[in-house]
Amino acid sequence: MNWSLFFDLTVSGLTLGSLYALIALGYSLVYGILKLLNFAHGDVYMIGAFLGWYTLHALGGPVNPTFTGAVVLLLMFIVAMLGCGVLGVAIERFAYRPLRNAPRIAPLISALGVSIFLQNSALLVFGAAFRDYNTFDLIGVKTYNIGELFFSVPQLLTVVAAIGLMVALTVFVARSRLGKAMRSTSFDREAASMMGIDVDRVISVTFFIGSALAGAAGVMFALVFGQIYHFMGFIAGLKGFTAAVIGGIGSIPGAMVGGLIVGLAESYATGYLPQGSTFQNLYVFALLILVILIRPSGLFGTAAIQKV
Amino acid sequence: MDQLPPDTPRIGVDEWVASVEGKRDRYTGVRGAVVKRWDSLPPAARVLVFAAPAAVFPFLTTEGNVFRYGLFTLVYALLALGLNIVVGFAGLLDLGYVAFFGVGAYLYAILASPHFGNHWQAEAAIPVVIVATAVVGLLVGLPSRRLFGDYLAILTLFFGQAFVIFVNNANRIDFPFFGHVDLTGGSNGIANIDPFNFFGYKVDSTTKQYYLLLIAVALVLILLMFVNESRTGRAWRALREDPLAAEVMSIPVNRLKLLAFVFGAGVAGLTGAIYGTIATAALPGDYDVGLLITIYAIMILGGFGSIMGIVVGAVVVSSVPELLRSSANARPLFYGAILLALLVKLRPWRLLAAEVAGLAAFGFAIHGIASAAYPRLVHGESIGSGLFARALDHWMLFPKNPVKIADVAYILLVAAIVMYPQLSRLWRTVLLPPLLYLVMFVWENLLLVHIGGATRLILLGALLVALMNIRPQGLFGTATVEIV
Amino acid sequence: MRRRRATAIAALLALGAALAVVAGAFATPERAAAPAAQSGSDAALVKCGKTRTIGFMVPVTGPAASIGIQQVHWAQYYVSTYNKTHKTKMKLQTEDTQLGAPTGTAEALKGAQALAGSPNALGVVGPAGSNEIVGVTKSLKDAGLAWVSGSSTRTELTTDGTRTGYMFRTVPPDAIQGPTAANYIINKLKYKRVYIIDDQETYSTGLADTVEQKLKAAGVTVGRDGVSQQQSDFSSLIAKIARDTQLVYIPWQLTPKGIAFGNQMKAAGKGSVKLMGADGLFDSSFAAVGSHVYDTNFPLNPKSKIIAGFKKLHGGDGEYFGAPTYAATQVVAIAIDRACKNGTATRAEVRGAIRSTKISAAQSLIGVALRFNRNGDLSTAKKFGLYKSNGTVFVPIPG
Repeated sequence: MNWSLFFDLTVSGLTLGSLYALIALGYSLVYGILKLLNFAHGDVYMIGAFLGWYTLHALGGPVNPTFTGAVVLLLMFIVAMLGCGVLGVAIERFAYRPLRNAPRIAPLISALGVSIFLQNSALLVFGAAFRDYNTFDLIGVKTYNIGELFFSVPQLLTVVAAIGLMVALTVFVARSRLGKAMRSTSFDREAASMMGIDVDRVISVTFFIGSALAGAAGVMFALVFGQIYHFMGFIAGLKGFTAAVIGGIGSIPGAMVGGLIVGLAESYATGYLPQGSTFQNLYVFALLILVILIRPSGLFGTAAIQKV
Repeated sequence: MDQLPPDTPRIGVDEWVASVEGKRDRYTGVRGAVVKRWDSLPPAARVLVFAAPAAVFPFLTTEGNVFRYGLFTLVYALLALGLNIVVGFAGLLDLGYVAFFGVGAYLYAILASPHFGNHWQAEAAIPVVIVATAVVGLLVGLPSRRLFGDYLAILTLFFGQAFVIFVNNANRIDFPFFGHVDLTGGSNGIANIDPFNFFGYKVDSTTKQYYLLLIAVALVLILLMFVNESRTGRAWRALREDPLAAEVMSIPVNRLKLLAFVFGAGVAGLTGAIYGTIATAALPGDYDVGLLITIYAIMILGGFGSIMGIVVGAVVVSSVPELLRSSANARPLFYGAILLALLVKLRPWRLLAAEVAGLAAFGFAIHGIASAAYPRLVHGESIGSGLFARALDHWMLFPKNPVKIADVAYILLVAAIVMYPQLSRLWRTVLLPPLLYLVMFVWENLLLVHIGGATRLILLGALLVALMNIRPQGLFGTATVEIV
Repeated sequence: MRRRRATAIAALLALGAALAVVAGAFATPERAAAPAAQSGSDAALVKCGKTRTIGFMVPVTGPAASIGIQQVHWAQYYVSTYNKTHKTKMKLQTEDTQLGAPTGTAEALKGAQALAGSPNALGVVGPAGSNEIVGVTKSLKDAGLAWVSGSSTRTELTTDGTRTGYMFRTVPPDAIQGPTAANYIINKLKYKRVYIIDDQETYSTGLADTVEQKLKAAGVTVGRDGVSQQQSDFSSLIAKIARDTQLVYIPWQLTPKGIAFGNQMKAAGKGSVKLMGADGLFDSSFAAVGSHVYDTNFPLNPKSKIIAGFKKLHGGDGEYFGAPTYAATQVVAIAIDRACKNGTATRAEVRGAIRSTKISAAQSLIGVALRFNRNGDLSTAKKFGLYKSNGTVFVPIPG
């Protein structure tokens, strides 16, 4: 066995996987509470990447930043996360809240509308050209190697930051009052509102958190892979969504594990299977279908109980 | 009759009560009379109401317009009708539906194109395509027996994606037993598909294809109307409303689900074959999510499960973006829509008059200040010629180089529209003229410039959100109520 | 029960009526429509007037918008220089095709019909993609419109005979570019281990196939893979490329993807492996990846005044992918002017004028004279130029 190839594939799979996990969390949080597939989520992620880019350039650009690299990086994350969080809340307010008691498919179409709207607004305002983060200039990236094993700083940063965010989220949901309110709302919205929980506020907070995570993922993606453009949310949204489903949509640990599984599966498929990178997505979908058929509610999902 | 605010949960009101309420609601005024007349028409006559104007359409306009508006509307309508069987009747959320459309197109391409040198007659090829696609539908439907709602949606979504990847790369696959066969032409697709050839009669012009499609749509419509009233149709509806209850009533749930899949796939396969002859090529990108979104939008806009609603939805969704291709059409459409919204929303006409007057005054004031203090803001010109455009030059700001300003204004506008409903009534009244002015500024300086590109899609997205906000049940749908 | 039967009868009647209407419709337009298609568009006289219209099909939105915008810039650049120097004016009627969007070629089809039905459009620049051309062929041909594409390189488009006399292109086909690259790798670089990655779009797979064949025939060990154009993460693919690989050939369409690939190669410690792109990646931003980057392109003269003027207008960026679209616009504009000599023109006249285009190398941006052979390909472009990066821009390799 070629261990160096295996290591490379694992590193790349983990990097990708933690990005997918962050996106998947947004899907899962919203689904858990509203039972809504928020198709605009991928585009929020795209907006996050652009917010990071504008912050970077407002602070003097990658070559001559006003502050040191680490501070710029932190500010980029903060702006992207806050901006996306507010955007998520606005989307919920405007496109989903009026439809809360409508047939379940109506918000789905509304979500598609928001997605088309965001994508093309980005095209209009940001332009069609690709933007580059120039990470190499910003943090003077070196590649580290231990013998034959290579990894780079942005990859490491992504994995660590993603794990940090996920731990923070888990603690928040498990310990804080708001987290408790979120859990009870997702369990039974009406009962929660009867218990005095401000359901509207809980939903807003959920959208804020989910979208902020997507914003962070957008910046991380751009740091590792460079290019951002208006159409990037589409494929990432699809992957994040796959991850959420594999893990069991609605489940927070499920989204994290699902993300890592999809990332690793993609990476190993590319590396080891015949015509791997051509049929990469096909292999991932095959995995997904397998999981759904064996466990229809995903790895960590609880089977839906039919109320009669 | 007072409408309850949409947020109020209507607990304890069952569907029957809701439908009676809905009927009573509709039986007033001119609209009520029309609805009454419509309800008493036999189904076939309803089909005629739509088919007759459609049959005259090609005599009124050019072939290009028949192609852009007519053909695509009918293709979309036919697809949406097929989807309606699966989603609207049986309640199975099938997000891989367009793949069947693609299967139909590719199958016909394989049977009748130079790719394999087959040139089948249409009367032989069409049944084969329909049956084969229906079989594929059956195969995809099989897992649906185990899956509920969203999981079925996800499975089918990925079936659709897998189909696209497969046809895009099938030329690289070595099949077992057959060895290397270039089944789909890979990313090049299959070109030069034959037109339909019925016993020597070639359906090879836009007009002929249009009428062929019209017949197909009429046939499927009539078929659906009968199915809707039949035992199977009622069983499907029972299944949609509550699968568990349906099963308890000893309705063969699994068989019905599969039947819905098979029916839907068959219609999609037929449409695919027809579309293949229109596009004269089967290309991998043509059967992807974008089309799926369009078809779903049509079905839901028209009204979930409503057959005639789908036809209207197809007309709206396929013609609005086409109309918006040129700025000459876009401007009247845009201002017309705004005026209509104002007419509906601002009820005492005095208020409307005051707001419009306010808008006019606000515009002149801004223009006056700008031309005195910042002449650069008025140096540009509005797009197009004619009285309206020239009149705008004296009222609206047209910066010499609008790019940056317009971008910022656009973001401001989106933020303002999101914030606006949160304001109190007084503030909303006061701030409406400036908001409208901002809308017009962005439209004239940014959106109209990009009308052929991003603007069209932005408006489409906004239209979807707005329509869902106004009528979540779709244009022709009836409100259903969740039973708790 | 009775009501049901009544409905059934009504339905049959309706169907009969519909069939009758259709039969009638077929009977009449059969005579009227066929000649109408001829006289209606192909031979219809258009008053040229002061402003002439060129149809322009280009991806303004969708995933390929970043290359579409380059074509838009170059086409507009030609039109604006033309309008400054001529008494008559040119106007572009732009139709968005959304190349590569999940909606497929439907938008291109509708755009083609919009141009076909336009009373003023005499010739078309574009479409950009080879599949789009396959899709719109019938629409444009039926309307008698000739089209000149500045970016579709699939060889068979011109050689299969379906579009002869209608389709022209100002960019040489894969059959010329592929061998240039392959011969250089075999004869000059003498590499033995090469990896080829296409981006799963027609442009790219065509080139990759040609080069793969040639290299394998010469005994070179070739690895082959494909990666979706939507993808920005190449790390696992890069992991698969053996460290002793000498060159990776990436004939891709989107420059930013090429840059991302180059940078990720460096990040994975494989920065010493040489890279080679094709005309889709011919851009100084790709050259800036490092001095180990090669490229092939039609012999463009980077010092020409036209390019200098363009760069000045667009912040120093050459946007070379769009350059052949400049040539395409030039071809169509000049053909329309020739057809309009007597004040009126037909689409058939414009087709003829394009077919007999003669623009000298000095006036042409792409370094060779613009003249078309019988198929509609440039008869002057026999060879592609080879370039190597000096770290910031591509420099021609002599010989």
